[in-house]
Parts: sequence; structure tokens; C-alpha cells
Amino acid sequence: MYLPEYYEFCCRVKVISGHNALEKIPESLAKMHAARPLIITDKGVSEAGLVDIVLDAIRDEVAVGATADDVPQDSSLKVVNRLADVYRDNDCDSIIAVGGGSVMDTAKGVNIVVSENAHDLMKFSGAGALKRALKPLVVIPTTSGTGSEATLVAVVKDHERHLKMAFVSYFLLPDVAILDSRMTLTLPPFITAATAMDAMAHAVEAYTGLAKNPLSDASALAAISLISSNLMGVMENPSDREGRLALANAATLAGAAFSNSMVGVVHTLGHATGSVCGVPHGMCMAILLPYGLEYNMHKNAHFTEELLVPLAGAEVYAATPKHLRAEQVVAHIRKMNQDLHDATAGRHARFLGEVKDGGGRQVVPREKLEDIAEAALDDGSIFYNPEECDYEDFLMILRTAWEGTPLDRGLIKGV
Amino acid sequence: MNEFREVTPGGKPFKKAYVALMLWFVGRAIQAAAKVDGDVKKEFEKLPEGFTFCLGVMPHGPYMIVGKDRKERVKYMGWRREGRSIDLDMKIKNIEAAILMFTFQEGTAVATARDRMVVDGEVPYACAIVRVLDIGEVYLLPKIIARLAVKRYPVWSFGRKYIGRVRIYFRSIVGY
Amino acid sequence: MFFPDNYEFFCPTKINSGKRALEQIPFELDALNARKPLIITDKETAKKGLVKKITGAFRDSGIAVGIFDGVPPVPDLELIRGLANNYRDAGCDSTIAVGGGAVVDAAKALNIVVSGRPEDLKAFAGEDLIENSLRPLVFVPTPLGTGFETSRFATLEELTFSSPFLMPDLVVIDPRMMTAERPAELISTAMIALAHCAEAYTCPAKNPMTDTYAYAGMRFIGENLANVIRSDDKDGRLALANAAAMAGIAFSNTPRGIIHEVGWALGDASGLPPGICMGILLPYGLGYRMNSEGYHLSDMLLPLAGAEIYVGTEENLRARKAISVIREMQHDVRDAAGGDIPLTLKDAGIAKDALAGVAGTAAGDGAAGFSVDDCLVILEHAWEGKSITSS
Repeated sequence: MYLPEYYEFCCRVKVISGHNALEKIPESLAKMHAARPLIITDKGVSEAGLVDIVLDAIRDEVAVGATADDVPQDSSLKVVNRLADVYRDNDCDSIIAVGGGSVMDTAKGVNIVVSENAHDLMKFSGAGALKRALKPLVVIPTTSGTGSEATLVAVVKDHERHLKMAFVSYFLLPDVAILDSRMTLTLPPFITAATAMDAMAHAVEAYTGLAKNPLSDASALAAISLISSNLMGVMENPSDREGRLALANAATLAGAAFSNSMVGVVHTLGHATGSVCGVPHGMCMAILLPYGLEYNMHKNAHFTEELLVPLAGAEVYAATPKHLRAEQVVAHIRKMNQDLHDATAGRHARFLGEVKDGGGRQVVPREKLEDIAEAALDDGSIFYNPEECDYEDFLMILRTAWEGTPLDRGLIKGV
Repeated sequence: MNEFREVTPGGKPFKKAYVALMLWFVGRAIQAAAKVDGDVKKEFEKLPEGFTFCLGVMPHGPYMIVGKDRKERVKYMGWRREGRSIDLDMKIKNIEAAILMFTFQEGTAVATARDRMVVDGEVPYACAIVRVLDIGEVYLLPKIIARLAVKRYPVWSFGRKYIGRVRIYFRSIVGY
Repeated sequence: MFFPDNYEFFCPTKINSGKRALEQIPFELDALNARKPLIITDKETAKKGLVKKITGAFRDSGIAVGIFDGVPPVPDLELIRGLANNYRDAGCDSTIAVGGGAVVDAAKALNIVVSGRPEDLKAFAGEDLIENSLRPLVFVPTPLGTGFETSRFATLEELTFSSPFLMPDLVVIDPRMMTAERPAELISTAMIALAHCAEAYTCPAKNPMTDTYAYAGMRFIGENLANVIRSDDKDGRLALANAAAMAGIAFSNTPRGIIHEVGWALGDASGLPPGICMGILLPYGLGYRMNSEGYHLSDMLLPLAGAEIYVGTEENLRARKAISVIREMQHDVRDAAGGDIPLTLKDAGIAKDALAGVAGTAAGDGAAGFSVDDCLVILEHAWEGKSITSS
């Protein structure tokens, strides 16, 4: 087990997992001396009937202060401030967030405002600006991907000032994460695929990056193993409760891993592709993951190769000669993408040129790649990537990922 | 009980002096590199007018402040941060962590990966400044040390590497 | 990979481990909103100069510290009262426990007192009676411990406290604290950690989160213990301290196992270090559970022996193989230590007729889920060194 010269690991989130985990919420709230939660969610989640399931599970024991189900896809400071007013107007004393990354970020932002009585959220954006515990926050993820339930970051946009405020504090870690199979049971296969590969990318990049550490590593290995042994089963049988719960756990484990070990070039390019062309995050991750591994392989093949055990099983690992294992890892992830492509009738794209929108139009035109590479220069995740990456490197990776051909490792500078 | 006592630990003046000297030199070298090196110049051109950044050690310094003045010139602005509005604040968590960095036992990337620093400010600024610091290290340090400090030692032309290095050293010492 | 239908897991503890870790303490205290720590330790630790290393880490921080370096081997309520007065008089707001065992028990008890009302200490003894988080508690381990340091447990006199709020907020593992210690003591500490990890990793209540800590802990011990004993490998000692911290966390999130309980009872009855007892019992306790419903012995082989051996071993033999890997490791460690580490209870000088009493104590009221007979079978096999294969 690799022990770095120095590392830090922290995941202060209580995890409650099960097919009836929601029913544990009242007890959890009571332990935190809370009785009147504000439920924060979005329209998609509430229209899918998930909020009703949560309410049914807690109604008898908890008096819900209010339910705000209008968090937009692209949340902002305005939304945070409005929900903080809802919290105050209804005398709430805690928050339950039901949803994906955007809902959780919004809930964390609301929690800062109501706990610190902040009029200007910006005042709390610096590192170390939060000094004490916030109000109790229970999060219920409805996708198995972002891992936000285990991260200490919240990003809130201020559209008026054109700012993206990042809040980083251990006090932003939710108090409790509820992983209940009912919350992801109806997730469409295409989204199940993308979100699971998002979690996969978190785990893989955490394991192979510069800030890897033993606890992130063990979490990442478990996450990868759970995804590779459950994802295809869930794709074939979406109502597989055990498989759904396993994927939810994988996302949380991967979240804990990357929250402590950060991510690398896959995320750098993924964020940039998302912001320039609007490609869903999970799909970017799935497409770019093999390329990121290839790009860094000359630096970290000895870590990458170890991932063959959770990905393909100990048998495949033992049967593969040592010098081919890292490449086998990449091949295996490509194969997963192909299988997901087949299982979604082509909706799960295998390369950037293949990404289509609802109307069948190409989402990433080749001529946008320069813009994406330019945007990638502004993304901090590259700090944690093993190899240096400049504009030309970004562009080289993007071009091959657009074509869908394996990376010509001879083109990497310094190899 | 006699086993109880209170202690006020002292300072680390020599280590602080060393780090202060290094910061002073790095600050003046950045000012010089912004004139001499095309890439550094470009990085600063993209930053907003009046942009100021501070690199220093918690909790009480030393610090180094570099910024763009009104005429868009990149200037080393000294070691006092009081009264300045700082756009990008890079703080090394303690003096020992600073020593690890400034004795080149830990490069910028490794120090970041090991949580040795906290960074306040917009991420794109931080990305730009880290690239500037990396270029600065390649100029200032002999290859054998700089290779440990940066992820990939760049391939530069003879002119950029050697003539550039002499010009930056000269300007840093003379201070223009 | 085994996956449970439902579970709960909680670990409030942050781990900072490695080079210059001590110097991060002032920053971490500030993040916990603390400004003045009370450092507590025992004479032994202070004599080794380790307190100076902690105060040295506060140089240039502008933070003043209180120090108490007289925690006795068996702390009592009186001591805690005195410490609480020191804490309050000096205006402290956080505790740094340096060392293991009694020091950490005292620090946890102190933390209950200074976070609430002093006369209430007894009222908090028991399971989950602490309702609010306590003041910041930092734990700086040295190489020796009881395995309870990072756990949710604390004992003081006759009182036992159990609450997740007793787990340290921060564990700071620094190579400078990893002093050279006698092999038997290092082995004892490592065997407690291995027993805790192995029981957490194989028990029916395991989950992916406890697996994380137990997995890393087991691998660190397997890969480093013999080296540390043989060559005083510094990185290895750091890895063992990491394993001990992780073991306590896994232990806190799974029910107490039979090896742990019997090991403690045996230690109490015989005066042997509990870790040596748990080390002796480990192969037998695991063997006893080998074919039991719901136990996951064969899963252990992969972290302990690696993929090649795992794959090379037939599925129905993996549990047995895992136990023999542990046994081999113990023999290796014993040889490295010069041979004076007992591997049977007979060699350890335990009288055979003492076993029944130990079994009775360990099984207690049966609430832990095992009977006197269960304990006795394990003890008898461990006495003779005869392997157990049935359930």
C-alpha cells in the first residue's frame, strides 16, 4: 500500500445506506437536535416523485418546515438568497437536500447564509473563512455520480457580478448522506451510464494522481470494483435494487476519494468541454478517462496497472503480464464505454465527435477544440495531474478524443 | 499540580529570514521575467488591470507582493500586505512548509497536492500565476534542482534559457 | 465484493500523516476555531523529548500552549478534575493527547468534562449518552498504543464511555514521534491493529466504508511489520502508526469481535500485553469463524497476499490460505524479533485451567453474540497451537 511522504484525509460525513435508509432521517435529525427541516430540491426530482418518497418516509416523525423544489440547473447566488429567506420565514432549523450536484451546492450555500446570518455570501468564500459548524445538513443524492455528498466544496455563481464563488471548508461537508436505492431506481439508463462513469473518473483520477493517499486509494478501489461489477447489470435491469444501491455507494466512495486526492487532466478537459460546448459532465468523463490515463502513463503506470484488479478481477490481473496491465486498464475502460454505447442504443457517446444533442446535431464541432483547450488553461484540477499539460498538450488530447482513436503516446512531450 | 505549565513557544527568525530573502528574490525575478520572457509577459497581459497577488507564509509572514501598476507594468511591490487589495492570495500554511518549498524539497505541484498551501482568489488567476512561478524556477535554478521543482523540465532555445537567465538575474539584483 | 443491504458509518477523524505533520497543528486548530491547546502526556513520553517536538511545532505560530506531562498509567477521576482546573484556569479550548493508551483515555474524559459540566462525567458513561460534539481533540500517536486511541471508546476507573464524539477530530502522525521501541511492544500494538482490522473486514456487519479503513490497515501491517522489527525501518513505523489509527476507526464502526474480547480478558487475567494475546488468538479466532454464516474470511486473502496468490488459490481454500498467510507473517515477525514472541498460550505461560475463567469473562452476558463455549474452543486451540477448521 502506497504511503506518500505526506497526506491528509478527512471525510466527516455520516453515511447511512440501505433500501430503507430514508426512514433513518428522523432519528438522524433528532440526534442533531433538529426538528424542522427545509427540503431543497429541483423540479425534475420532485416530478419524478422522489420528494414524495422522502416525505412519506419522514412525515410521521418530522414536521417539514417547507419544501422548495425550484432549484434551477444552473443555480446562483439569487437562488441561494431566496431559499435562505424561505428557511427563515418558515422557522426551519436544518436542511435536507434531495438531488444532484446543483441542488447540493445550493443547499450548502443556503446553509452558510442561514447559519452565519450572512448578507454577503462572498465574505465567506475565502479558505478558512468558516469557523464553526453550520446548521444540520442531510443530503440525499438522486444520481450516482457527482459524489457531492462527500465533498467539502460548494460552487455558487453570481450572475450579476459574473463570478463563480468557490467555498471550501470541512464545515461544508454534509452531516449525513442518505443512500437509498429508491432514489436512483428510476434513473434512465443513459444517465445511469454517464453518472456512473463520472464516479469512475473520480476514483481513477484520485488513485492515479499526485495527491493519492492510502484512504483515498482504498475508497477508490472499492468504488471501481462496485461500478464494474454492478453497472452493466443495472443497465440491463434498471430496477435492480442491490445494483442501484451499490452504484450509489460507489459514487460516495469515489466522492470521498477525490475530495481528498483531487482529480487531474480528465476533469480539466471535461470541465472545459462542458463549459464551452455544454456536453453533460458525466459523458465528458467517460470519453476522456482513457485518454487521461494514456497521457499520464509514463509517469504513473505503476499505479494505473493496480486498477486492473477492481476493474476486471484478480484473474484477469494475474493473467496479464505486468508490462501490459496499465494498457489493459485503458482498454477495459474503452470496452465499458463501448458496452454502454450498445446498451443505450448509441446515446452514450464513445468519443467527442460522436456526442449528439436531442435533435441529433453534433455538440462538439471540431473547430471548437481550440476554444476548449484555451478554457482548460483556467482550470485548477491540472495542478494535481502527474504530468504537465500546456495548450498544445490539451489540444493534442482533445483531437484524438474527438476522433476516438487511441492516443499516440509518442506525441507526448517528455516521453 | 507541578506537572502543569504554560509555554509560549518562540519564533523561527533564521528560517523566516531565509524565506523572506527568497521571496524578495522571486518577486523581483517575476518583475524581470515579465519584461524578458514572452510567455510570462503574455500571462500577465491576460490578467486584469491592477491585478495584485501575494505569496507568503501563515500566520504572520513573510510575504511577497507582485502586481500590475496603472501603466500595465508588472512590479514587485514589496513585503507589506497591509492596505492592499489582493486578488490572489497564496498562503503557505507554516514556515516549515515554506522551508520545504524554498529548499526545493517540494515543488509547487507537490506542495499543493500535500495541502501545504491555501489559495484565495479566482482559480484562473491561480493557474496563471503557477505557470509564471514554474517558468521563474526554470530561469533561476540550475536544471538539476529545477527538475525536482517542476513537473516537466521544458525544452527551451539556448537564447531563452541562458541569455534570458542572465538578464533576469541581472535585473533581479539591480531591480529594474 | 460483499455489499450489505443496510449500514451506517461515521468517522469524524481527519488524518494528517507524514513529513512536518506536527507543524500543521496550529493551522488545523485554527480551522477548528481553537486558539489555546492543552498538551497532555505521560512522564515516559516527555522523557523521550517528544513534548518538545510538539511545542517546537508551535514556534512562530503565536499560540501559547498548556502542558501537563504527568498522566499516570492508571488515570482516575481525581486526575481529570485537576486537569479540568488546569484547562480552565489557563483558558484552554482544545486538547492535544500525545502518546497512547491512558493518555488518550484521560484526554477523552477531560474533554467530556470541559465540554459540559464537571459533575456530569459519570452520567455520560455508557453507550451513546454524549449528545453534542465536544471541544477539539487532537491525537498525536507514538508507536505504542492500546488500539482504543482513535476509537469511540474511553475508559476511566470503572467507567466506560462510548460515543462517536469521543473520536479525535484530528490524528497527526509524524515520523519524528516514531521513536524506536522494544520489538515485543511494537508487535503487541501492531497485533491489536491487525486483529481489529481483520475482525472488521470479515464480520457480517462490514460495509464498504469500514472495509476502506480495515483494508489499508491490514495491508500496512502485512507489508511493514516484519521489516520494522528486523531493520528498524522508519517509513515502516509511520505505516504501522497509520494502520493503528485506521484500525481504531474500523473497530468503532463494527461490533466488537471475539478475538478482541477474548484477547482483552486474557490480558487482564494473565498480565500479558493484550496485543500479544490477540496475536496468539488471531489465527484461531479467524479459523473458528471460517465456515460461519455471514463471515467473509476468504475476502481477506486479496489484501493480505496480493492478486497472484489470491487467484492461484482455489476459492474454497482462500479462507484457510488467508489464515496461513497471517501465521507465516507471525512466524516471520517472531524470527525477526529473535524468537521470544509466544505463538501459543502454552508458550506464553498461561495455565490451561485458567482458560475457562477467561472464556467466561470474554463472553460476558452474551450480548456480544458469542458464548462461553465459543471462547473456550478458541482458547483451547490457541493454548495447544492446534488449528481450528470447523465452525
